[in-house]
Amino acid sequence: MILLESHNVIIQTTLTDKAVKPSYLDVLFVDFDGVRFHLSTPEKKTVVQLSMNIRSWDELAAYGALDVLRREYGSLIRAQTEPEYNISLDIDLEQLPANEASREAFIKSISLLKRNALAAPFELAFRQQKTLEASGSSLGDLMQIHYRDEEAIYVRASPDRVTVIFSTIFREETDRIFGKVFLQEFVDARRQPSIQNAPQVLYTNRDPPLEIRDVPGLRDSEDIGYVTFVLFPRHFAKPDVSYNTVSHIQLFRDYLHYHIKCSKAYMHSRMRHRVAEFQKILNRAKTEVATTERKTVTGRTMVVR
Amino acid sequence: MSNVLRPYLSAVRSTLTAALTLESFSSQVVERHNKPEVEARGSKEVLLNPLTISRNENERVLIEPSVNSIRMSIKIKQADEIERILCHKFTRFMMQRAESFVVLRRKPVPGYDISFLITNVHSETMLKHKVVDFIIQFMEEVDREISEMKLSLNARARTVAESYLTAFTS
Amino acid sequence: MSQLAPIICDNGTGYSKIGFAGNSDPSFVFATAIATRGPSTQPTRGGPPIPARPGNLASKRGVEDLDFFIGDEALANAKTPGYNVHYPIRHGMIDNWDHMERYWEQTIFKYLRAEPEDHYFLLTEPPLNPPENREQTAEIFFESFNIKGLYIAVQAVLALAASWSSNRVTDRILTGTVIDSGDGVTHVIPCAEGYVIGSAIKHIPIAGRDISQFVLNLLRERGELAAVPSEDHLRVASKVKEDYSYVCQDIVKEFRKYDAEPYKYFERYDGEHSVTGKKYSIDVGYERFLAPEIFFNPEIYSSDFLAPLPEIVDDVIQSSPIDVRRGLYKNIVLSGGSTMFQHFGQRLKRDLKQLVDRRLEASVVSSGSTLKSSGVDVDVVSHKRQRYAVWFGGSLLASLPEFYTSCHTKAQYDEIGPSICRRYQIFGSAT
Repeated sequence: MILLESHNVIIQTTLTDKAVKPSYLDVLFVDFDGVRFHLSTPEKKTVVQLSMNIRSWDELAAYGALDVLRREYGSLIRAQTEPEYNISLDIDLEQLPANEASREAFIKSISLLKRNALAAPFELAFRQQKTLEASGSSLGDLMQIHYRDEEAIYVRASPDRVTVIFSTIFREETDRIFGKVFLQEFVDARRQPSIQNAPQVLYTNRDPPLEIRDVPGLRDSEDIGYVTFVLFPRHFAKPDVSYNTVSHIQLFRDYLHYHIKCSKAYMHSRMRHRVAEFQKILNRAKTEVATTERKTVTGRTMVVR
Repeated sequence: MSNVLRPYLSAVRSTLTAALTLESFSSQVVERHNKPEVEARGSKEVLLNPLTISRNENERVLIEPSVNSIRMSIKIKQADEIERILCHKFTRFMMQRAESFVVLRRKPVPGYDISFLITNVHSETMLKHKVVDFIIQFMEEVDREISEMKLSLNARARTVAESYLTAFTS
Repeated sequence: MSQLAPIICDNGTGYSKIGFAGNSDPSFVFATAIATRGPSTQPTRGGPPIPARPGNLASKRGVEDLDFFIGDEALANAKTPGYNVHYPIRHGMIDNWDHMERYWEQTIFKYLRAEPEDHYFLLTEPPLNPPENREQTAEIFFESFNIKGLYIAVQAVLALAASWSSNRVTDRILTGTVIDSGDGVTHVIPCAEGYVIGSAIKHIPIAGRDISQFVLNLLRERGELAAVPSEDHLRVASKVKEDYSYVCQDIVKEFRKYDAEPYKYFERYDGEHSVTGKKYSIDVGYERFLAPEIFFNPEIYSSDFLAPLPEIVDDVIQSSPIDVRRGLYKNIVLSGGSTMFQHFGQRLKRDLKQLVDRRLEASVVSSGSTLKSSGVDVDVVSHKRQRYAVWFGGSLLASLPEFYTSCHTKAQYDEIGPSICRRYQIFGSAT
């Protein structure tokens, strides 16, 4: 598995199961970036309620997350959100599409709840870019999404592009150095002819890029890095490309950290192998101790302690 | 083995072979104790002169002989930040398993990356030249392993970056 | 921000139970299997592939170790050319660390979708797990995954904790005998105040797989399976075991009951061929009560293992220290799928009680009838969460506030190293 998927497997499997055999349900689970979900059947077996708590909800709502979700889920959204959560959906298992394929598609769309909520600022920026381009004015507003405790995404539209900046923290020295290697490759990878059309990537360590330098409260330490993606209209002009870009870019941080961890796991297996090899070499040095069994007259074995 | 490395390793090998003349030696300080003198440092007269073999400022070996034990510490080449962290990870991983490497010290001597402690018990139960072989082979391979790990990290990073960016263009 | 729920990972020989603390059931239950790419001749301890040099850009080489599947997907890919299925856990203990590390990697990122840096983890280990294994586990979780905190619990102790959910249990104690019967093997494990009495543990080579095999043999002897395609035999047998079996109080009486009124007791099982979809049905008869009977009368199934379960439980308790025996008799806890038979608990309790009473009587006689014991309480606790008892116990413990203070944290690990996991702290019990 190289790329991460954007749907939540627990939502998908649970709903698929429950669609066949409804039963009472009460599960809490999570998704990347501290998103918390609650699946339950508060009233009756056949109506499943899915609630989501997302850290940066207030910011997302300001950038139109509710509209995006309304567009995707329409009447499923409950008027009354479950306390402690930001949004609740009601899924009536009796009203699911009868057709297998469309039911699957429906369940899949529900499992993309987090993706859709987080898509709002990107979609807004893509629209802004169009109006900016038409009017010829300078810069759009800087949108900030504090999706983790110490990390944030900044999105800003310009007349000819949309800039997305991630700030990411490496809590450990090893991660920081591995992260640097990875990010450097992100910057360099575009030299490849096959991916020249990919967004341009810039990376700075410690110093925030120009676009967000005037944002107050930025951390100034060695373990923080800023990654800038420059999206051009070709990345979001067509609806399907734009959809792809959005799902893809919001998982950047998780993707990066996932691969840093995978590399460490890989290093571990290399080291295990190498250490076993060294062990073999050292064992060659050990002299065979001649073990002859010595017995007493009565036939008992003598043991050297 | 590369030719540039050979004189360095052969110097280490002959020094180590010469130093590995150990005998059982009871402690002069505590009755009925028999400790590696190079670690205990109880009596000065049984410690021999330590010796450093250095290839350059980043690669050197310290051999501290004594009457019943020798301690050997290696500083492994680290060209940059990545090699430093990989080397640190590797030596720590190995020292974590020191139990099965009888001659490995659990902690390196300050200023070095990894240390071995060979006592007279080891030289009695193991073939001396094979132990030396092990250490030389370790020195030889650890450099190669670290640079290979670095290369594979870079290769991985590149594939990962490309896979991510390719997804945008599809 | 409120803490994110800790992740509970119970990796067993056959199945892994994975989920978040606070839930009553694991979110995922799938086979502890990993399908990796590589030649079949490669030994399991073989070195990892050396990645291609950079410069060989276009190829996807260098990340071969990410090309694998776990769980059900691994089994589904078993036939795909180039993939081999491995089982990284043998007899409850981790056998292949490389595979296990990658198994965990995909569990966390693909199935749980959790950033391990934000979570505490509760893992389980079998009784008598060597501390080195625990250190290696800690090394993987803290170094590769940078998790926040780790707690490694003994499976038997978690099974005891799971019994707190039974309404018959009034105080939270961690003293008791655990009978853990899964697919491969059955363990009888005595625990005193949260610590396993290692010297008294006994294993029984009869478990779920053997029961299915036994049912299969019975069905075959009666000629019921003629209509069933041969590849479905074992599946039908295990289905019969799961859906129709129960423990009877007396076999002879039960046989008589069946012979008198076969129509009342015989059941019909309807199946469908897994490939062609052809329907078939078989009669289910004596298997219903004979299947679990092999725990109580093993001679009907195997010729080399003959000790009935109640006797083994009694043995285990008798070889434990004398001052905890009363507690062990009083709290016998069942865990694992093969203890789910109806009336299993009652039968075990009755048989064990008989054994104990008989011994007490004998000692009264031998002491010349002057000293009389006040009797020993024997109680077997069954509860609703028995099937995933170990996981549920973990979920229960990890939702207690003390959990966070009993965990080994990342900071402690960085300070001391993997050896911190040699220390094992119990918590949550009322004593």
